[in-house]
Amino acid sequence: MGGDLVLLVGCLLVGLLAFALPSAWSGAVVSSIRATALAPVVALRARAERDRVARFELAGIQAARDSLALRLQRDSTLLAENAGLRGLLGLAPRLETSWTPAEVLHTPSPTDPRAILLSAGSRAGVAINQPVLTADGLLGVTWTVGPDASTAMTWQHPEFRVSATTRGGKVLGIVGPVIVGASGEPLLELRGVALRDTVPTGAVIVTSGLGGKYPRGIPVGRVIGVTTDPLGYEQLYRIAPFANPGTASHVMILRGTPADSAFRPATPDSLP
Amino acid sequence: MSNVWTGEGPTRRRRSDRLQISLVIGILLLLEFYLRPSLVEGRGMPDFLLLTLLILCLRLSPGWAAVTGLLVGATIDVLTPARFGANMLVHTLIGYASAWGRAVFFADHVVVAAGLFFAGTWIRNLLVLLLSGAPVARLGAEAVFWGPLQAGSTALVGTAVVILFRDWLAIRIDR
Repeated sequence: MGGDLVLLVGCLLVGLLAFALPSAWSGAVVSSIRATALAPVVALRARAERDRVARFELAGIQAARDSLALRLQRDSTLLAENAGLRGLLGLAPRLETSWTPAEVLHTPSPTDPRAILLSAGSRAGVAINQPVLTADGLLGVTWTVGPDASTAMTWQHPEFRVSATTRGGKVLGIVGPVIVGASGEPLLELRGVALRDTVPTGAVIVTSGLGGKYPRGIPVGRVIGVTTDPLGYEQLYRIAPFANPGTASHVMILRGTPADSAFRPATPDSLP
Repeated sequence: MSNVWTGEGPTRRRRSDRLQISLVIGILLLLEFYLRPSLVEGRGMPDFLLLTLLILCLRLSPGWAAVTGLLVGATIDVLTPARFGANMLVHTLIGYASAWGRAVFFADHVVVAAGLFFAGTWIRNLLVLLLSGAPVARLGAEAVFWGPLQAGSTALVGTAVVILFRDWLAIRIDR
């Protein structure tokens, strides 16, 4: 019995030490274990996710592909017209954004609902602070990255922020998460909107592109109501997000945004 | 292992025991990491990794059950984006309490084993969410709906495993 207690206390001390680690350190530990000892398990789960999709979601994917092919055929004239007009105005071709597809590795164990595990890592070109999208809209941003897997902070995380605007770009603000009502429903909130501006209910909110992290035009959500700041300085717009972290199974991780951004730090001057 | 004398020596029997237990654990791990995610996805699904821990706890002393719990918790902590260390702490406690409870209450009845799987899963879920700082609404939903659902499915599968492999796992079950 004494030996059992010693083992219990030892294990609890190890657990407490891990629990008290700063998130940067624990993130590094988790990434290194995922990349080494548990790499086969991560690969097996990613394979299982792909097999499930191939087994049960193939018809939906084929339908989506056919719809996209039709839309591409319809838009090809517009693309050619746009390229011609840009050429007449002397504008450079539009910058293309590259992306990495990834599966969301769901688990039946209770987890932090504000973060998700993704099946792509630095080997696939994923880096920290890259936008994570579903077909519906913005889901979050990459948080920690290992060689073959990464975690993403979803829009539900208290530290999530994105510069956003209305479709027409008339009203600008910062979107962050908010817990609403006694049931604790997670929603988004558009803050920093001046009292003179009005955003109608039903308006679609998209990323503004300011800050260099998120490209302009990614759908974030739809305005469902408005409340006033308790101090009376601004209006707070409640937004129903388009992307649901609970049902997302496949995501796109936009690559290269920070490096290609116009907001990146200027290269140092070569002159002394 | 059957109690029938087969003429094998104790060393050979121990090796055979380990092989059989490893096979059961291997099946459960394959179910957890490949078969279940490749077939169905959802929060009420049985947790085969926790089930592996609880089944091992039926055979181990409380101290070694705590060590096993720590390792299982570390694996879950690495594979899920929960608060690091939360699963290690909780699974250590669950492992120790399960093995200790079995030793004290002599849980060699199939209903008691099912109860152990149910309570272990439910309490584990609540404690992990509590330590991860989940909002009250999420805790309430877990306590009332998701927790019992997953605990029930885990207990169902666990009981089937114990009944099917009772000789291999060397668990005496009264029905």
